[in-house]
Amino acid sequence: MSQGKQFGKLFSANIKMMFREKQVWFWNLFFPIILMSIFILIFGGGSDKAFKAKVAVVKPEQSQAAEGMYQGLKQIPVFTWQSEEPVSQEQADSLIKNKDVDGVIVLPDNGQAQSIKLIVNRENETSATSQALRGILDHFVTQANFQKAGITPAFKLETDSITSGSEDLSSVDFLMTGMIALAIAQGGLFGMVDLVEMRRKGLLKRLRMTPVRMGLLGLASMLVRFVLGVVQIAVLTVIGVYGFGAHLHLDIATLIVAFFIGSLAFNAIGYLISSFSKSLEAYMGVANIASFLMMFISGIFFPVNSLPDWLQSVTSAIPLTYFVEGLRDGMVYGEGLVTSDFWFGIGVLALWGAIAYMIGATLYRRTKVEVR
Amino acid sequence: MSILQVRGLRKTFGTVTAVDDISFDVRPGEVFTIIGPNGAGKTTTLEMIEGLQTPDAGSISIDGLTWAKDADRIKIRIGVQPQSGAMFDLLTVEETLELFAAFYPKSKSSAEVLEMINLTDHRKKRVKSLSGGQRQRLAIGLGMINDPDIIFLDEPTTGLDPQARRNIWDIILNLKAMGKTTILTTHYMEEAEKLSDRVCIVDQGRVVTLDTPGALIDRLTKEREVRLSFLDGEEAAAAAESALQAQPTVVRTARDGSSLALWSIQPEETLYGLFGFTKEQGFRVEQVSIREMSLEDVFIAFTGKEWRD
Repeated sequence: MSQGKQFGKLFSANIKMMFREKQVWFWNLFFPIILMSIFILIFGGGSDKAFKAKVAVVKPEQSQAAEGMYQGLKQIPVFTWQSEEPVSQEQADSLIKNKDVDGVIVLPDNGQAQSIKLIVNRENETSATSQALRGILDHFVTQANFQKAGITPAFKLETDSITSGSEDLSSVDFLMTGMIALAIAQGGLFGMVDLVEMRRKGLLKRLRMTPVRMGLLGLASMLVRFVLGVVQIAVLTVIGVYGFGAHLHLDIATLIVAFFIGSLAFNAIGYLISSFSKSLEAYMGVANIASFLMMFISGIFFPVNSLPDWLQSVTSAIPLTYFVEGLRDGMVYGEGLVTSDFWFGIGVLALWGAIAYMIGATLYRRTKVEVR
Repeated sequence: MSILQVRGLRKTFGTVTAVDDISFDVRPGEVFTIIGPNGAGKTTTLEMIEGLQTPDAGSISIDGLTWAKDADRIKIRIGVQPQSGAMFDLLTVEETLELFAAFYPKSKSSAEVLEMINLTDHRKKRVKSLSGGQRQRLAIGLGMINDPDIIFLDEPTTGLDPQARRNIWDIILNLKAMGKTTILTTHYMEEAEKLSDRVCIVDQGRVVTLDTPGALIDRLTKEREVRLSFLDGEEAAAAAESALQAQPTVVRTARDGSSLALWSIQPEETLYGLFGFTKEQGFRVEQVSIREMSLEDVFIAFTGKEWRD
């Protein structure tokens, strides 16, 4: 029988087995979808809407200055007001404690103290919203001072955010591509568990008694994984774009190169793990550790520069870092094949894959068949 | 004329000698059974013949072919049902057979094999949901998908209920009728006795004895065990015992209450004499049995070990 027909049968058998396994559906599709949705809702939500902060004001009676400031504050568009009317100090305290508002602004009375006070809940003291509130009020106070002193400021600051690629790159795009990279990487890391099971149950031994080429078997299961990877990219992209408004700037050639080399590299790492894991539990343990470490220090969800320096050097060594960069080149930056950074990343991935495969193959060859 | 020739096989794993020195010849078309206690080296021997393990010493020739030179040609001429019976759990019975069929240049149709292993009705079932007996039959079916000349069955009936075992016996007898050579290992003496043309008893990595089941039993001493019990109680049994001890054909006796056991080299003559005595005394004999000699006795005689199923 021709190698072609053998391969065809092996491929279709592998496809059937993969899609009949409920675990595959869960871990490779549903779980990434849920995780992506949660991450986007937590970290990506702010980018679509304008910044809003809910505030309340404590205004002393019969204070001219306070009344003026109160009217001024009401003009600030990013504030939503807890109530139309100012509240008392006691009401304000309870609003803060119950976190009904992001902050309470206490306006000065007619006395000597001419300071505006911002009260926030201690739990939120360092949150982005509190920081922003402080900035806005600081600006407001400066403006008020300038007005009182009759000064026209000489310098103004204008900010615009710039990303290295397309103008409309949002954090949703960032999270979506990160999730795709993680899903494919985990597919590779965990996917080789079949091999451990096949060895433990004696199925590899059984196949060795037939004339089938083991290489053909490996090739068929590899190809099936590529099919799964394509499905993962398609499903997560559709949900990202239509569900959360992610933007795509596809560069198909870049995407294909990154996907192909990345999948191979992570499958090779999975293969390496399988070569020294005698049981399912051992394999899952090692794969979980690898996956968790990579998830948090590769910059797929969090910018890497928030990590300590020594950890950043680890970041620049692990494959997921380069895989996610390559995918972003192909999916949101819309370029890559022309940049040397892209090819450097692909090189690192290929190196990881090659080394993992070689060690794995050596370990497999050394493993003796168990005594009976 | 032999289709499989095994000479001086030896295999050690570290300090354990699994197979010490095993030689035998298998004739075409016969059912050749290897029996022996656990750890005797049966599976290791089979695995060396199947090409999964390389012997430390000795030679294996399968119809003139050797693993070193003709691995691919041997693989298409042998079929194997390994002890582990590992399969792809998520494929159906039919898909499994067709997948394995694709591995070989020539194969039987899956329909034909399904018929032989009596799984036609279950062909759409996933392997995962098969019963133990069905699963084992599928494993045997995979061993014959390439229409091999020699088929190896490693403990095909272990752990199965009597009906499922009988189904597998039918398959083996069928293979024999088709002229296939079958090499079988088993835990069940009854099975070896019923199915085998020749039996090879292996212990501690060596061949203890090898012959047809009938010849092996004949080789045992002619001593037979006879058991009787007396309705008239202990007294009658004791009197009969002392009468028996006078007979030259009786080797020894044992008594437990009103039951009596005796070992005789000529049971018929012994019993003739005994019944003359009981009639004379007016003793009523309730039960008489002469135990058949079986392979189990052969096994015990040759290895000095108790047989456990």
